[in-house]
Parts: sequence; structure tokens; C-alpha cells
Amino acid sequence: MSLFDPQIAAYIPWVSGISAVVCGLLCLYPQYAKFAAGVCASAVGVGFVIALGIWGNVVGAGTAVNPEPLMRWIEVAGLEANYGVYLDGLTMIMLGVVTGVAMLVVIYAAGYMRGDPGYARFFAAVSIFIFAMTTVVMADNLVLLFLGWEGVGLASYLLIGHEYHRQAAVNAAKKAFIVNRIGDFGVLLGMFCIFDVFGTVRFEGFLPAASALLTGDGSGLNMEAAAAYAQATAVLADGGQWLLMAAPFGLMVGAFGKSAQLPLFVWLPDAMEGPTPVSALIHAATMVTSGVYVIARTMPLFELSPYALPTVAIVAGATAILGASIALAQYDLKRVFAYSTVSQLGYMFIGVAALSSTAGVFHLVSHAFFKALLFLTAGSVMHALAGQLDIRKISGLRHKMPVTFVLMGIGCAALAGLPVLTAGYWSKDLVLATTFDRAIATSGGTAFVYYAVGVVGLLTAFITAYYCFRVWFRVFFGEERYEMGDHHHGGGDGHDDDHGDHGHAHEPHEMDWGMNGPLVVLAVGSVFAGLLLGPTHVVEHLIDGTSAEANALRVGDDATPYVKAVHTAMYFVSALIAVAAVLVAYVLHGPKRKVEGDDPVRLRAPKVFGALNSKLWIDEVYGGVIVYPVRVMGSVFYVVDAVIVDTVVRGLGVVPRLLGQGVRPAQSGRLHGYGLGMALGVAAVVAVTFYAMSRGG
Amino acid sequence: MIDSSHLILVLLTLPVVWAVGLLLPIPGLQRKRYAWAYSAVTSAISLTLAIVVAMNFDWTRPGDMQLSGSIDWIPSMGLSFRYGVDAISLWLILLTAVIMPVVVLSSLIEVDHDMRQFHFWLHILEAALIGTFVAQDIVLFYVCFEFTLIPLYFLIGVFGHKEKLKAARVYFLYAFTGSMLTFAGVLYVGYVGWQQNGIWTFAISDLYEIGRRMSMTEQCLVFAAMLAGFGVKTPLVPFHTWLPLAHTEAPTAGSVDLAGLVLKLGPYGLIRLAIPMLPDAALAFAPWVCVVAVIGILYAALICRAQKDAKRLVAYSSVSHMGFVALGLFVFDPGGIAATGAVFYMLAHGLATGGLFLCIGMLYDRFHTREFGRVGGTAKFMPVWSFFFMMFVLASVGLPGLNGFPGEFLTLMGAFDSELWWSKPMAVAGALGVILAAVYLLYMAGRMVWGTPIIPPDHAGYLEGAEHGVDPNHRHDLSWREITTLVPVAALCLMLGLLPMPVLRTLEAPVVGLNEPVMALVEAEERAALRVAGDEAGDRSQATGLNGVGTGAGRGAGEGSQAIPLRVVSADGVGGEGVIGDE
Amino acid sequence: MEQTISSLTFSHYFLTGAVLFVLGMIGFITRRNMIVMFLCTEMMFQGVVVTLAAAAALHGNVTGQTFIIFVLTIAAAEAALALGLVILLFRRRQTLDAGAWSELSG
Repeated sequence: MSLFDPQIAAYIPWVSGISAVVCGLLCLYPQYAKFAAGVCASAVGVGFVIALGIWGNVVGAGTAVNPEPLMRWIEVAGLEANYGVYLDGLTMIMLGVVTGVAMLVVIYAAGYMRGDPGYARFFAAVSIFIFAMTTVVMADNLVLLFLGWEGVGLASYLLIGHEYHRQAAVNAAKKAFIVNRIGDFGVLLGMFCIFDVFGTVRFEGFLPAASALLTGDGSGLNMEAAAAYAQATAVLADGGQWLLMAAPFGLMVGAFGKSAQLPLFVWLPDAMEGPTPVSALIHAATMVTSGVYVIARTMPLFELSPYALPTVAIVAGATAILGASIALAQYDLKRVFAYSTVSQLGYMFIGVAALSSTAGVFHLVSHAFFKALLFLTAGSVMHALAGQLDIRKISGLRHKMPVTFVLMGIGCAALAGLPVLTAGYWSKDLVLATTFDRAIATSGGTAFVYYAVGVVGLLTAFITAYYCFRVWFRVFFGEERYEMGDHHHGGGDGHDDDHGDHGHAHEPHEMDWGMNGPLVVLAVGSVFAGLLLGPTHVVEHLIDGTSAEANALRVGDDATPYVKAVHTAMYFVSALIAVAAVLVAYVLHGPKRKVEGDDPVRLRAPKVFGALNSKLWIDEVYGGVIVYPVRVMGSVFYVVDAVIVDTVVRGLGVVPRLLGQGVRPAQSGRLHGYGLGMALGVAAVVAVTFYAMSRGG
Repeated sequence: MIDSSHLILVLLTLPVVWAVGLLLPIPGLQRKRYAWAYSAVTSAISLTLAIVVAMNFDWTRPGDMQLSGSIDWIPSMGLSFRYGVDAISLWLILLTAVIMPVVVLSSLIEVDHDMRQFHFWLHILEAALIGTFVAQDIVLFYVCFEFTLIPLYFLIGVFGHKEKLKAARVYFLYAFTGSMLTFAGVLYVGYVGWQQNGIWTFAISDLYEIGRRMSMTEQCLVFAAMLAGFGVKTPLVPFHTWLPLAHTEAPTAGSVDLAGLVLKLGPYGLIRLAIPMLPDAALAFAPWVCVVAVIGILYAALICRAQKDAKRLVAYSSVSHMGFVALGLFVFDPGGIAATGAVFYMLAHGLATGGLFLCIGMLYDRFHTREFGRVGGTAKFMPVWSFFFMMFVLASVGLPGLNGFPGEFLTLMGAFDSELWWSKPMAVAGALGVILAAVYLLYMAGRMVWGTPIIPPDHAGYLEGAEHGVDPNHRHDLSWREITTLVPVAALCLMLGLLPMPVLRTLEAPVVGLNEPVMALVEAEERAALRVAGDEAGDRSQATGLNGVGTGAGRGAGEGSQAIPLRVVSADGVGGEGVIGDE
Repeated sequence: MEQTISSLTFSHYFLTGAVLFVLGMIGFITRRNMIVMFLCTEMMFQGVVVTLAAAAALHGNVTGQTFIIFVLTIAAAEAALALGLVILLFRRRQTLDAGAWSELSG
């Protein structure tokens, strides 16, 4: 059933790489810039087709496919990091999501960005992103993964700062890159630990070896993994245990940075300064999920350390509820969805922390659909209202934008996890159920952690359903009322889009089908992805085998009755929670709401609402604790360098100067003085020579 | 085709010939543009020749000295003109040969007087650099090493900016003081060799043997002397203060040469001379050098964040980046990963920082300022410039896919992988530099490239054209000459980032070869540590035991040297000709 | 002739050379007239020349004599140059006193 040899997958990133170069060149020729979207879309399309084409081969293989690398990248001593691909079910799901969502978003963006002066530049950066993101999900070693990892960071930097004339966008871009760098620091250290223990950074080597360490049975490994296993046992015997314990924590820091978890989530809300398609593609559907992917990929390492996964669970649980709480007090449409993303990413991490890559990745897939949909519909609203995003100033748009109204409703339903029909329902369910499974399977503190996280997850589900319907009701119901924003569809700064189509800026209107088409596909996905993947357990069949212990938690046909009971209970509990939350939102914000242009919660509890609205002052804390001290230290060191270090080192130069001052009078300038000196010198030499000869002689 | 062993000689003398050619009384050369064109063509010929040399090099054995030869100079003193290249030398020569035409191309506008003199010194500098890299005789090495000072002194002092004289003087004094000590150390090794064997030799390969047999104390003293010269050049904190000054005041060409090439002499000297010649001392000094290197990485990075002048920021970033190189050379990991990475990083840093200096120079040509707040938001009115600038910024940040990454990554990974007990904390602290690099370089990018367009008021005319959007031919963006200048550098950055294997593979063998004596000591240490049984014989005892064996081996060698009978050549000579006493 | 030479030992020649050299040196240091100082240096040259001649005879080879020719040639050239300089200096200051020139004072 397979069309292509899996080897061909190695070319997917490079197709986008070429697209990036072509789009970059198109920047130089504004008259041809309009072709950039086509170039980019076809590159992504090729990637998507290849992904589908090799799907059968890879999934049918049963084990990971790791063909010969396409090219060599870095090979020094034992370190081997080449352009190889590592294909298994997890990779294929990620690849499908990345290329699929990217294609839809690029098609949408082709319309959305029209008239933007940086049209070709935008698609060049998107191409870089797809190059890097496909590299992340397909890399067969950690270093190459890191190439993609940093590459998506670069693309994110360029795209957040797309409207570079706005200082807010520039600052947000910089912040995103630097916060991600802190995470990358962790990835680097994790990578170092892994190389130190296993002597390889290739998944084919250290993943089976780590699994073997877990079971204590090193037999039946391939040659590469056996070597890694042998080295690891030697290192562990030699007191290298701490390296193995530290490795997952390093990777974890990286994952938390990229996937916007506590305490590194601060960049993601600011990243909404980028054009909306970027928010949908990078900061909701794909890039931010790469942290989840990395943990799912290196799961055996996390299992080796008893503290790693519970730590992930705690952080993820805290992030989930914190993100959701902040989201419920935001007025900016995109910021609500941004914090929602932070919160939903927390769910995915809860899933992987509960040893169920299945649950985490399933939620990742459904989230990719509905969050991309939500962002793009928010983009449509923004596009129609000339940049207006404040939900206090928008109301009752359902007649002006009926399609968007329906699409965003579907997205919200999926996010809220309304029962049976939506993808969010199935995936969130699985996450929470496996968390409780995990709590039951463990004991002591670990069990407590998982119980607590499970309860927090349920609470978060309630808040989530509330805040997304709060937005939907506010924007589309009630009396029709809106204020136009002050800029045109997110791009340009007035004078340079004369050739653009900004005749629409006076009246909100529905998008054309070129832009709504992709949204419909996403909406269909948001609904049916759940039904397709949830009850059928497709994801589990694809991702099983990450570890023996994880397999025990499978809820497919071979699950224990007890586990089945937990899952069944969860179906009902979460359905109830979602419906209840929507009802609350209906009362407070629905068509018959009493408070207009403000939030009734703020009127009741202004302090709490205010604290959440200003994001609990976390940014300010970072500013005071990290950013400001770094700047001050820099200034202080600079002064120290210029004044003290320089003076001290140059002070050494005083010694020759003093010596010179001492002998200066000898240079009288008088010929006779020199003559006398010369004569005395000759005399001295003669005397010494005679003395020496008389002694020697 | 001439004998391939003469190729190096031709390569070395060619720049001198070009320089002399500039002095000839040809009237056309008085004209600025002709002198510039002459220099562009001649440096391109030198580059071609360097490529020919590379093609004659047998890349299957990159660790061996090849194309080597020897010409007697002062045979009675053991001085001869020994030359040869291995892969390390050859890559550095290629870097030199690539940077030179680029620098020449970039100099057309900035140098407003005496173009002939300017290019004369550039060619002389190229010759001195190539001489340093090909030298297989330590005196020849030293002569060329020192000779780089003179052209740079004039390049900075004559063609620099406001405080050029001070900068030239400070640079000269720092570098000269340090390298005088180095010379003393070198002579001492030669002297020991003469004492032991009765003949003077300054061949580097002979001095390896002699140096390794010296006692620990002697090795340490000589090592300290070498570190003085090479450390100032690298530069290691706290002997780095000449660098920001020299960079800020130097003309673009001077900065590019300084950062791209001359700074490389320090680490090159360390890995070519100090480490293989004095393994015991290198191992004993290693933790301290690494501490200094890591302090340099972080300290200079923090200082960068406080800069307002783009060029000074890049200068300080050089201090930070060269800290990685020093760290990589001295962690001595088993596979030589760190040292290979460090040498790769030397090449990478030359290109990325060189590119940044070129870009900043082009900006200065237009607006006569480099200060944040006086010029900024260039993306709007100089998109092509901004593209190149961002590329070099990202290469400096160490973004994978560009050239900064493999070096930085391998250095840190090797440091973490090293068996020495102190190396892991160093690697972690060094990796913090990766974060800081992003902080200060993106700070610079944010002020220069992004944001609202700002230009100095007296150049306000430049902004008017910007309303028309992207247009590479617009007068304020880069000219074709400037694009030609930057494209090779940018292309090499990308190539070394995406496909560093040709370089890495060939660097590995020579680097491992040069590190071998130290690695033997480390392994001996490991074995000694294994013998010390018991649980508390952890990391600490490993380190103290390490010094113990080093000293022991050194002492044994010292005793051996005294057993060799002294043959006093000069006493014989005098005695044979004593005539006066006869009467 | 034989007799005369044998009565004069090599020491006499060396002594003559030394005396000439020392006298020249004393003159150079004590006199202020530049022409006289210059003549004194010539005298020192002659002292050296005598010594060289004696040494040549002693060793029985011509190395010393070769050097004499060399020294005399140089001395002639140098005389021409030095007198020219002295005249130049005289024109500047209208005096031959060497003390009038002390610009090299440090």
C-alpha cells in the first residue's frame, strides 16, 4: 500500500529548504513576490504527499525505520550526528500533523497576508520553519534534532518579529528566542549527559540501550545499541549514575522552554505579536508541541529516573491550571487562545508524564486541529475588524460573519471537550484517565502527585470550557456592536499597502472561501479526528512500544477491566464538567448577559481578576530577577573592565617607564659624554676579559 | 608544474612580491581605485595559489606534515627555513587567503588616503600570517608571529579612527610584551636542547622531544612564558583589554584581519607548540586556563550587553567566543572532540566575526556612526545589508546550520565528556555563555536591524528612498561591490554549518596527534587512579595523583639530561686559537 | 735588518698600536673641536691598523693585512663623509665646538 521508499523522507526538509531560498530570492523582486505562497505551499504539499506515501511502509514495518543518512553532518571521534531519519509511528503522526496543518495554514496565509510588504519574506520564514520542524520530528539523533529545534526557534523569531517596525513585535521576538535559548541550554546538557553515558546520540543506539537498562536485560540488541548498553553499564558502575539521572532533566528544561511550560512559558503569549497564521501554525499547532515530542521520543530515559516523570507531571499540572486561569481574565482574543495553548500543552505533558505517550500525542493531534482552527478564525475576526481583538469592543458578529461564527464554535467545542463529537473530548479524556491509572499503579508520593495532577486536570477542564465559550458568546452573540482597529489586517503600516485590498476596512465581512476552505478542513478534523482516533485506539497502535510499562496501560482490547472502568468513568465525569462550564459561561456571557463591555467576574472579584489579567506579574518578576540584573552586571563589568582591569594590566607598563626615567640623565646629548661612556665600556670589557683569561690561563 | 614542495615557498613569497609591486613607481598606482584594483587582483591570485596548495595536499593523511622542505638560514645556530603544512595549518592558510580578497574589496570607501600604503601592509600581513602557519622552525614561527604586529600597527595607527594612535600603541605593547616572554621560553627550550645534545636546533619536531624531557618546573616556567604571548593574542581575560580598543579604532580591514586571523595565532601557537611540547605543564595548567577561559566567556558576554557601540560589542563578543576555543584546547577529552571543535571554531569565528565587522564597516561608511540609537531599524531601508548582518549574528549566536554551532557544540560536548574531574562544571558554565550570546547579539540585532528606522540627522536624505520598498539597487543599500564582498563569507558560513565534515574529518587526525602526549599522561593518570583503591579515592585524588605522576616523570627526565656529557663547543674554539701566550 | 727586527719583539708593535689607540681616545674625549676630534678617531684607526699588521706578522698569514686594506678604505670614505658633515654643522652654528650640539638629550 506504500508508494515510496522510506529513504525518501530524508528529502522532506530539504524541499522546504529550497523553498526558503526561492522565497528569499523573491524578496528581491517585489513584482514576483506573489508566487512565494505557491512555492511554499507546494513544498509543504510535497512533504505531505511523501509522508502519506511512506506511511504504510513505516507503520507496516513494526519497528523504527532508520535508513542510511542522506549526508554526513558531524562525525568526530565517537560522536555521530548525520542527516539521518528515524521513522516510526510517532514520527509519522508528527510528520502528518506538521505538514498537514502547515499546508492548510499556508493556504490560509496566502490570502491573509495579501498586501503585506513582507509577503515573500513571510513565506521564506515559514519555509525555514517547515524545514526545521520536519527535521525535529524525523531526526535520527539528538544533535540533528537540535538543529531543527533551534531552527524552529529562528523561524519563530523571524515570524514573531515579522512586523519589525513595531517595537512590541521586536521585543517579543527577542524574548521568545532568548527564553528558548535557556531551554536549549538544558537540551545541550541533556545531550552531553546522554553522550557521556551511552557514547552515542543516535536514537537507534541509546533508546534501545536505555530500555535494556530499564529491564536489566541487554540481550537481543542490535550492534549499535549493544555497544551503547555496554558503555552505559560501565559508566554506571563507575559512579556515573547521576549523569543518567540528570539527562532527562536537561531535556525537560528544553521541552519546557519550547513548549511554554512553567517557568519558561512567558514568551508564548507575547509571541502573539506575530501574524495570526503564524500563531496558529507555530505557536499553537506544531512548534510548541515539539517539547512533547522530545519527551515521548526519549521516554525510556525518563523512565530510568524515578523523579523525572513526576516532575514533568507537577510542572505540567501547574502550568495547565495557571494558563487556564490567566486565560479566563484576558480581553484580547489572541491572548486568550495563547494562554489556552499554554494550558493545553500542560495537558499533553500530563499525558506523557503519566507514561502514556499515546495520550499526550493524541491530545497533541486534536489540539493541532482545533487550536489552529481557533487561531485562524480569530485571525479572520481580526482581519475583518482591522486588527481589533478586544472582546469588550466586539459583540454580536454572528450575522456579519456566519461562517466564522460556526467554525469558531466548533473550535471552542473541541477545546472545551464537549462530549462525544469533538476531538478534544476524546483526547483530554484519555490524558486524565491515564493519569488516574498511573496514580493507581504507583504508590506513595508518586501516586499522590498523579492524583493531584489528575484533579487539577479536571479543574482545568472546567476553566477551559468556561473561558473559550466566554469568548465565543461575547464575540458572536448579543447586540451587534464593534469598533474598528487601527491597522490593516496585521500587516503594513499604512503607506505601503496602497496596492492591497483594504477597501474592506470599513465594514466587517466574511472571508472568501480561499481562506475559509482550510478552516473547514480543520473544523472537520476537530470533530472527526477524535472519533477516528479515540474509540479506535489508532494512536496507541502507532505509538506503542515506547516502553513495556507504558504498554501495560494501554486501553485497547487487552486492557484490564479495572483500567477500563477508570476510562469509562472519565467519559462521564469530563462530559459533565464540560457541559456545566458551558452553562456557566452561557449565564454570564450568553445572549442574555447583563454586563456589556466588561467581565462580570471582574466586577465581583476585581483583585483576583486583576491579578490574573496582569498575568500574576510573572513578567515583572522575571524582569527584576533576571533581565535587569544581567543588564546591570554587564554595565558594572564594563566599568570594571575599562577602569580596573585595564588600569591594573597597563599599570605593569609603569615599571619600564620608571626604569627609563631612572637612566634618562645618561642621555645628555653631549658627544663627549657618549665618548667617555664608550671608552669606559670598552675598558670594562677589556678588564673583564683579562681577568677571565688570567684565571683561566 | 613546479615541484609541489616549492608551492609553500611561492605561497609565502607571493604576497611580499605583491607588496613590493605596490611600491614600484608606477604612476597609475597613485590613483586610489587602481591601487585597490591591483590589490584585489593580486590577493585573488594568492587565493588561487592557496587552493592549488590545498589540491596538492594529500587529504588522506591530514595529520602529517606535507609539502615540507627546508632551506638553510644560519646552520651553525641550527636555524633554517623549515616549512610544511598539516590540515590545521592548511585550513588556517585557506582562511587567510579567503579573508584577504574580501578585506581588500571592503576597503574601497573607508580608506580615504594612501591606498597604496594600506594595501602594502595588508599584503605584508598576509605573508606574515602564512609564514606563521607554515613555519616548522620555531624561530621562523616566532619571527612571523611577531611580524604580524608591524603591519597591524600601521593599519590601525595610520588608517584607524579617533584614538587610533593610542590603540595601535596599546596593541603593540601588549602583544610585544607577551611574545617577548614567549621568545624567552622558546630560546630556553633551544638552550636545553643544546645542553643535552650539543647542537642547536630549533626545528619544532626536535623541540617537542626536548621539551617533553624537561623537568616539571622547567616545563611550567616555559609554559607560562608561552601562555603570556599566546594568551594575550587569544586573548584570555584579564589580558584582553587591548582588543576592544584596537577593534573599535581599527579600520574595517584591520578589525576583520585582527578578529578573523591574528587572534587565531594565539590558540594556534598553543596547540602547535605549547601543548605537544610541554604536556606535563599543559595538564597542570589546564584547569587554570579553563577557569580563565570560562570566566572570559561569561564576563565578556555580560559586558557585551552593556555596549552602545556595535563594533565594540562585536569586539567583546570575540573575547567571549575565543574563550570557547581556549576551553576546548585544554579539556583533553578522550576522543579529542573538544580540541577538534576548538580548532573548527577558530575558522568559524574568523568568518562570522569577520562578516559582522564587514557589515558594521559598511554601515559606518554610510552614516559615520555605529552607535545604537543613532542608527537603527535598517531592515526598512537596507534590507540586503540587514539580511547579511542577521546571518552573521545568527552564526555568532551558534545557530545550528551555521558555522558557529559545530565548533561551540563540539567544544562543550568534549569538555563534558572529558575524564578530568573539573571539566564538567566548566562545560556547564561555558554552556551558559550560549544563552548570553543570544542575549547580547539579539540585543544588538534588535537595536540595529529591527524597529523604527533611525539615522543620524545629517544623513537624513538616506531615508527618503526607503518608502519605495525593497530594492537592492537603491543607493543606501549595498552596492554590488559590497554584496560581492559579503557573499563568499556568508556562503562559507552556511557551508561550514551545514556540511562541516570535510573540515572536521581532516582536523581530527592532526589535533589528536598533537594532543597525544597529554592524552598519554591523562590515561596514565586514569590507571594510577584505578590502582588507588577505596571509595574515597574519588575525583579529588585523581587530580592530585595527576600532578604527582607529572612531576615524577619530569624529574626522571631531568636527571637523564644531566647524564649526557657536556661538549663545550665555544671553549674549544677559544682554546685552539690562543696565540698571545705562546710568545 | 734581521737584527733590528729581532731586537724589536711583537710586544713593541702591539704596544705602539695600543698607545696610538689610547692617545686617540683621550684626544677624542677631551678636545671640543670637531675637526680635532675627528683626527683623533683617525689616530685610533691607525692604532688598530698597527695591531692588525703585527698580528698578521705573528700568525704568518695575510688576514690581518687584508683587514688593513679594508679599514683604510673605509677610513678614507668615512673621512670624506665626516668632514662634509662637520662643514655642514659649522655652517649651521658658525662654531666647531661639539658642545654646541646636544639635541639628543633624553
